[in-house]
Amino acid sequence: MSDAEMERIFLENAATAAAGTHSVSDTGDLLAALGRVVAIDSPVFCPGMTELEKAAAALFPVRAADYAAAAVTVEEVFGAVAETGTIVCSSEGGRAVQAGLLPAHHVAIVRRERIFGTLDDLFAAIAFAPPTNVTLVTGPSRTADIELTLAIGVHGPEKLDIILV
Amino acid sequence: MSPEQTSLAFRANSVCALEDSALRAAMKQATDTFGTKRADAFAPVADLEALRDRASAIRDDVLANLPMYVDRFVASATRAGAVVHRAEDAATAREIVRTILADRGARRIVKGKSMVSEEVDLNSHLEAAGMEVVETDLGEYIIQMEGETPSHIIVPAIHKNRRQVGRLFADRLGVPYSDDPQALTKIARKALREKFLSADAGISGANFAATDTGSLVLVTNEGNGRMVTTVPPLHVAILSVEKMLPSLADLPAFLRLLPRSATGQTITSYVSVITGPRKPGDATGAKELHIVLLDNGRTEILAGESRDILKCIRCGACMNVCPVYRTVGGHAYGWTYPGPMGIILTTLLTGMKKSHPLVDASTLCGACVDVCPVRVPLVDLILGLRKRKVREGFADPRERRGMEAFGKAAAKPALFALGQRLAGAFWPLVRALGGKDVAGRMPSPAKTPLRRRLP
Ligand code: SF4
Repeated sequence: MSDAEMERIFLENAATAAAGTHSVSDTGDLLAALGRVVAIDSPVFCPGMTELEKAAAALFPVRAADYAAAAVTVEEVFGAVAETGTIVCSSEGGRAVQAGLLPAHHVAIVRRERIFGTLDDLFAAIAFAPPTNVTLVTGPSRTADIELTLAIGVHGPEKLDIILV
Repeated sequence: MSPEQTSLAFRANSVCALEDSALRAAMKQATDTFGTKRADAFAPVADLEALRDRASAIRDDVLANLPMYVDRFVASATRAGAVVHRAEDAATAREIVRTILADRGARRIVKGKSMVSEEVDLNSHLEAAGMEVVETDLGEYIIQMEGETPSHIIVPAIHKNRRQVGRLFADRLGVPYSDDPQALTKIARKALREKFLSADAGISGANFAATDTGSLVLVTNEGNGRMVTTVPPLHVAILSVEKMLPSLADLPAFLRLLPRSATGQTITSYVSVITGPRKPGDATGAKELHIVLLDNGRTEILAGESRDILKCIRCGACMNVCPVYRTVGGHAYGWTYPGPMGIILTTLLTGMKKSHPLVDASTLCGACVDVCPVRVPLVDLILGLRKRKVREGFADPRERRGMEAFGKAAAKPALFALGQRLAGAFWPLVRALGGKDVAGRMPSPAKTPLRRRLP
């Protein structure tokens, strides 16, 4: 599978799972995309641990110190899986995986080169020494517990946006 | 769920279920939807049969070497910093969990969906010890509020419609009545969020346990499983010993099969892989992780002729296609696990004396075998249990006499024809004797038997 092919499949599958998908080419575009998907005055949690996160963090005037109090979490995640349209969150490097869970809106930044083709590729990469928590996230939180009618945003985010950089 | 009970009242329960038109409508809608979604989800999967073979072979290997894999899991999980407890039976498991919680002064407990915790009846034990136990899966939350048990292993409140849930929430939570599932979901989100943030401990099950890394794998949609395992400072996971997978690298095959078989999704919203508690430098995970490995009869099942039931990954597909389950629903079975898989597991776990009525709750049509992602030979296992039922003397003597008479008549055409005429003539009597039982509801025989209508 070529990189372009992998990217196309990933974006298609993520959109099928009801995630918002955005594809940008550089940091400038990333900030523009963030401006479009995040209401600028909402309290945003952004860990500011990577270059991209640092650039993103500067954009938001209201920063939540704690993800539990935030309306939005903006973070760069470990990677993605094309096969299922999944983003992969990892606790590696002192990341709070639950930061992408508690706020109602999760914005995940993924670097193109971090897309794995299949679930096998992903697990081959992490199975040797998995960190404390690896969570595969595909679309927003959902349930069909009442009459099998789909409802979005049970305990996790009701909105998931993925920005591919 | 008391084991002292003489035998499960499957027949009587079924009669009640058949009279409940709301239940039948809900069951039909739900199982039809699941059936279609499952088929759609598998349609684009190339080499499905090879995938099932692979998953089946992995589960066979696990069962063939279960003690070794369990030991390996215990070693790996311990190395990752978890504390592993082995529980021989339900009572021991309950007591282990209670002690862990009580020793740390935990009083407010949030719980993720776990059929094993239902199997050992954990909640009532913890509540008796003065703890508040809140189910956080939406379906479980609903039935806990109503004081019921799950009727389906994937969607526990499948038997309730939106109006019933709306009234329940209005009554118990003091919110305005709504019958909009999205609005009801929001209400539950708000009520449960407070519980998560103030909980002393979280209890979860696990779908799989990887023996090479000591990881627990939770496959969920709502996000409550993630909350329960990462927000409170203490996490207790309870799972039965057969949930082992040799390696974390084996997981993808099961992630391709389980969600598609269960809900018709390509993958669930969330798959969490948890390896030990929070470590220095980590910002995720409970500070303490305890894993309770439940045997509760599995070792004995493993040594017997029904051991293949332990391959089951609890996807629920077999019940969704079962004509009996689809008609009577999960509660009629009377114990934790319903449907074809439930017939077998319940009989093995609670004994023939209690469960023999369940062994008849199958038409042996084989629809379950066609859909089982890990190729559990459900029909063969049910047939095996029926033989055991006869051998152990639990078969109804009337049934035996009837079968003998039928065998004799079927061998002699004249006798058979006479039997048919007698049955036709005395049918009102047969029906009256059957009363409210299933025999009383059998359709009358045809006026002209098929044999005479054939050219
Ligand atoms: S027996 Fe097979 S189909 Fe039934 S729940 Fe288990 S894995 Fe699923």
